Amino acid sequence: MFNFMKLIQNENMKIYRRPGTWVMYGILVLMLLIVGMFTKFLLDDPSGQVTGADNNAQIQVTIEDEVVMNENWREAVHSKNIQLQMLIDDPSIPSAVKDRYSQEIIINQYRLEHDIPPVETKSYWGYMTSTVNLISLVTMFTIIVAAGIVAGEFSWGTIKLLLIRPVSRAKILLSKYIATFIFALSMLLALFLFSFAFGGLFFGYSAIAQPHLVFASGEVIERNMFTHLFMLYSLSSVELLMMVTFAFMISTVFRSSSLAIGLALFLMFTGTQLVHVLSQYEWVKYILFANTYLVQYVEGTPIVEGMTMTFSIVVLAIYFIIFNALSWIIFQKRDVAA
Amino acid sequence: MIVTPVVSINNLTKVIKGKKIIDDLSFEIYAGEVFGFLGPNGAGKTTTIRMLVGLISITEGEVIIKGKNVAKNFEEAVSEIGAIVENPEMYKFLTGYQNLVHYARMVNGVTKQRIDEVVELVGLSERIHEKVRTYSLGMRQRLGLAQALLHSPSVLILDEPTNGLDPAGIREIRDYLRRLAAEEGLAVIVSSHLLSEMELMCDRIGIIQHGKLIGVQTVNDFVNGEKEVLIRFQVDDHELASVVLKEHYPNKKFNINGEVIEVALEKEEIPKLNESFVNKNVKVYGIGQTSKTLEDKFLEVTGGDKIV
Repeated sequence: MFNFMKLIQNENMKIYRRPGTWVMYGILVLMLLIVGMFTKFLLDDPSGQVTGADNNAQIQVTIEDEVVMNENWREAVHSKNIQLQMLIDDPSIPSAVKDRYSQEIIINQYRLEHDIPPVETKSYWGYMTSTVNLISLVTMFTIIVAAGIVAGEFSWGTIKLLLIRPVSRAKILLSKYIATFIFALSMLLALFLFSFAFGGLFFGYSAIAQPHLVFASGEVIERNMFTHLFMLYSLSSVELLMMVTFAFMISTVFRSSSLAIGLALFLMFTGTQLVHVLSQYEWVKYILFANTYLVQYVEGTPIVEGMTMTFSIVVLAIYFIIFNALSWIIFQKRDVAA
Repeated sequence: MIVTPVVSINNLTKVIKGKKIIDDLSFEIYAGEVFGFLGPNGAGKTTTIRMLVGLISITEGEVIIKGKNVAKNFEEAVSEIGAIVENPEMYKFLTGYQNLVHYARMVNGVTKQRIDEVVELVGLSERIHEKVRTYSLGMRQRLGLAQALLHSPSVLILDEPTNGLDPAGIREIRDYLRRLAAEEGLAVIVSSHLLSEMELMCDRIGIIQHGKLIGVQTVNDFVNGEKEVLIRFQVDDHELASVVLKEHYPNKKFNINGEVIEVALEKEEIPKLNESFVNKNVKVYGIGQTSKTLEDKFLEVTGGDKIV
């Protein structure tokens, strides 16, 4: 076991001793900063309380601004509920969507009763939840790392010296796989910590204790925002897990990092669109990309009716096993020549 | 006491896509010797070495390193091997030292002290903390040697170790390998197509061509092994001389090259033929032996057709 930790140490050394890796961290932090500044200074406030001349004042006094919002949110929530009710009365809308709308109405009523304002885009939690989207950037970077971690050894020629050590090929591949996900985790951690810091910098921490409301088993429950955020991170990381495993498989099977990066990113960006285009067919639900976005079961409606979280998890598990089995079998059997 | 070989290769065969790349190779290598694996490009040297170190699978036969089967007991067998396969490709973005640390982590019992020792041994102390990117080919060879020696193996396998080195570097490697074999008792396997190089470096040489082992001989036998030696007679009348020759040896082939007539003879036949020449009034101005270099021999053995 001690030996195995050393293998992971080796892989980490090979990841972090390359400047490219640090460029990726740099880009991530830069993006967080840009999203923060954009949200703070450029985005029009959707509720419309702050307009024109007030904008400059708002930059300086964040706290006061929040007070202003606190006073006006009730009206906005109230009119939102009326809108939702109208939609529910519309017969052309499917019942699954209607269910979600009525749940939202109940949550909104709970807000009004218990004086819990919704999360505004231009707020600490608004920023924190919007930066969850940057997980796709983390996925992209991890795909790049996964694509290079096996194929790189082949293109550098170092695979020959790597595989003539008293360590089984399975262990070497596993250490690479694990190191890839250590990289992903550290990037996710960086994403969280920097958005935590920038969130505070731009919007202050005054709203940090604000709860997240969910509708579960017939009643509204107050949840810690951090728990909610953690759930968003975990669910969004499912796509990361699958696409990185896919890239790792391509990297191992074809020994080409550019193919692995290209294919994985192409599928990542077009896969979901493809699924949407084909969503009228029943078999679409067996496609990987119809299942990777698990958030759809929590905050939305599934692409194909009748899909459930359990179904998706089973499908994902099958893909996961196939990808890894391919990587492992081929890496073990491969003749390392030229 | 029976000397047991460190490496035994038994009936080693490799078939790729129905083609026999390596055909029934068998030989043994003992501690303290430098074994040369000689063959033209594409003869199967590197393929054989890849099988020795477990990089490619063995179709038939077996490789036993210190009693351990490479195919069945890979981890144990390969821990006795230090090797450079083809060029010593290292992680260029790491320093030489970090490269060694990397490989040291993959075996048990390599201390920091041992790393320093090996660095000293290959003479890289001054540049070891610089990135490999900045190294010359010679320095990379040294670093390659260092990673191969790190875990004190019993067998050292080097594929074309002198490739791309300058004469001084070649000499250094050669002396170094000889010393390792003599002093540390390592079994060293060196592959090359550079014949003159092998002659100076190796104790025994195995010649491989088209995946088959043509023969294994000690270097001395190799050069002086033949009974018949090519003898040159310098004569005034080569036509007369050839008539005399045909009388004596109706079946022997000979070359006429101006005044020089070349024929392969055993030692005792030389004065006899000379006597006949003199009796038939062929003037003999000189008799000489053309010594065969290993290169001639090699070309002869391998047919000389596949040399690049």
